[in-house]
Amino acid sequence: MGRKVAFIAALFGALALVGPAQARVEVQWWHAMSGVLGDRLNELVEKFNTSQDKYTVVAIAKGNYDEVTNGVIAAYRAKRPPEMVQIAERGYMTMLLSGAIVPVQDLVEQKGYKIDFSDFIKPVASFWSYKGRMSAMPFNSSTPIFWYNKDHFQKAGFDNPADTWQELEKQLYAIKSKGISECGTVLPGDFYWSLLENYSAINNQPYGTLANGFDGLGTEFVYNKTKVVSQVARLKKWLDDGVMQIAGQGFSPEQLFTSGRCSTFVNSTASHGNIERNATINWSATFLPHESDIDPPLNSTIGGGAIWVMKGHTPERYDAVAAFLDFVAQPETQMWWHGATGYVPATNRAYALARERGYYKDHPTREIAVLQLSRGTPNENSRGFRFGNFVQTMLAQRQEVEAVFAGQKQPQQAMDDAVKRGNEILRQFEKLNAGKTPETERP
Amino acid sequence: MSAKTRRREEAGLKRANFGDGPGLPTLLLLPQLLILLFFFFIPSLRALMQSVLLSDPFGTNVQFVWFDNFKTLLASSDYRQSIAVTFWFTAAQNVLTLGSALVLAFATDRIVRGRSAYRTIILLPYAIAPAIAGILWAFLFNPAVGPLAQVLHSFGIAWDPNLNPTDALLLVTLAASWKHICYDYIFLVVGLLAVPVSLMEAAAVDGAGPIRRFVSIALPMLGPTIFFLTVMNFIYGFFETFAIIDAVTKGGPAGATNILVYKVFVDGFVNLDLGSSAAQSVLLMSFALICTLLQFRYFDRKVNYGV
Repeated sequence: MGRKVAFIAALFGALALVGPAQARVEVQWWHAMSGVLGDRLNELVEKFNTSQDKYTVVAIAKGNYDEVTNGVIAAYRAKRPPEMVQIAERGYMTMLLSGAIVPVQDLVEQKGYKIDFSDFIKPVASFWSYKGRMSAMPFNSSTPIFWYNKDHFQKAGFDNPADTWQELEKQLYAIKSKGISECGTVLPGDFYWSLLENYSAINNQPYGTLANGFDGLGTEFVYNKTKVVSQVARLKKWLDDGVMQIAGQGFSPEQLFTSGRCSTFVNSTASHGNIERNATINWSATFLPHESDIDPPLNSTIGGGAIWVMKGHTPERYDAVAAFLDFVAQPETQMWWHGATGYVPATNRAYALARERGYYKDHPTREIAVLQLSRGTPNENSRGFRFGNFVQTMLAQRQEVEAVFAGQKQPQQAMDDAVKRGNEILRQFEKLNAGKTPETERP
Repeated sequence: MSAKTRRREEAGLKRANFGDGPGLPTLLLLPQLLILLFFFFIPSLRALMQSVLLSDPFGTNVQFVWFDNFKTLLASSDYRQSIAVTFWFTAAQNVLTLGSALVLAFATDRIVRGRSAYRTIILLPYAIAPAIAGILWAFLFNPAVGPLAQVLHSFGIAWDPNLNPTDALLLVTLAASWKHICYDYIFLVVGLLAVPVSLMEAAAVDGAGPIRRFVSIALPMLGPTIFFLTVMNFIYGFFETFAIIDAVTKGGPAGATNILVYKVFVDGFVNLDLGSSAAQSVLLMSFALICTLLQFRYFDRKVNYGV
């Protein structure tokens, strides 16, 4: 009997707790962050939820970027999409032309928030906006940087990694031949992003026509006629000579680097959190190398994701969404997120704030991404990549590069085939989205 | 005794009869029918429809393209490579699995002491989830850290499944076979139990050794079981090895392990090319249908279940 009473009391207690919470408007945000990044994201949402008493954002991890995308597609088709979803940069065109989203700038302005969209740093703003208006809220923007093992370089008699691929190659071969480490570098899991796409931007090589797709859907890949071919040949040579290794399934390149097995690796600036936690080595990071005949090297381009707002919700819920987006865009939030994760601060003000507070004195490698992103004047080749079905064209390219690594194809042949396959995929996207051709835009 | 029951008894019907109307049997079948409806018929119909459409992932933009998806598919070298890989993989896996299971069944049939302990050990892999099994093999043979890869390297074999398509295909074949041996094994053990002891004894009296007895008597009597297992192995290789491929190679390198069912997944859920993915599912489904029909038509009638 006593137990029953206690149970009923507990029930009422629980109801009393639920009561006031119901007054809050609850919105969902599906995301793809896991590990350290996932913990930080939850902290961010918690900060927002405790900062006011009207809205609750519920962050739900839905797996990797592909799984989040699939989840939101299925939910949208079932007419039950979340209010917000984090989508990777590669899905930009798919989301933009989907007819399923509310452009964020329209939403926050309509709700009366004053976010200074012109303050977003250039590569970020130009990537996520369409016809000069922000389509998604930049959230986790990253760019690949070059990580290295200081001790290995010092033992081999070098102060730092070289700036150019040509000099760097000599260093990596020296490190290998002196037996300082088993491999000079490890192939990044997303090498297509860092070593082919960003390589093209930095070295001022065109990747596709029509300003890499910024000027319309009729774009075609052209990287089979640029330095990308010799870049693939270089990677193949490094693999053959044992200077570069592939981590393979089940292992991340990061593990081979942080354990001290490989001396260098190229990876997103967002791995700061993980590397600081896991690395037992004396590491540092610097700019990505460039070709010796390119001077000056251009900016790199961004990766990562942004927050998209989905169609089909009530005005009260959009109030909550707008409030949250406004919170995300605040310099304080941006600066906190930048420090907690290694992602780039999205706005100039947040960057200035980090500098003012002397953040980069203690964390010099955190600034590399920003400096590399804002280096020089972005041109057609370095503004970014805006291709439809970008995941699909990338996988085709990846397969062709692997054929080179396996010795089945010559680099030129493989890149020709990759471009041919990629262009067919682009034509399919163009056919499907005919009439939605974006006009020339220059943010 | 009611009039109804009496009438039924007069008609010579058994108790298992469900009465007069179709009501009760339908009711009892309903759960199964509903499951089939929602998890097979409706999705199949959707796949058939989707396979003749070109649509964006969100379904806001849909075009009817007749059989373009099929035409594109059959013209692509990528898809042809996938077919070739699938058949190679499935056939090799079949031979390996059945061969090992037969040897193991023969061996444990001969053993008297500790037979059930051996059987239990052999059956263990079945309890391991395919993805875990995949990761295990990927780790053992990882060229950088895997102990078995180090052994291969010490023999001067440049083993690297991340780089070399042949190595990758070999690795997934091994992993998939290892995972499935126990399935074949359990059927073969039961099959062997059903071989009449009198026949074996007679052969033994005539001077036939254990291997001779196994090959000339047990094996032919296992014929139907082996055929059944061959079909099951093909279906396993075609549809159920997905998790192993995903964990060990993700279809790479250079598409070397991109078997049909994995390609359906990648094109549908990663590339978001729903039309092509649906067309591939339709082709796969037709293949499974043909397999089943062949089994029923040509082989099932030869099977003698009353051993």
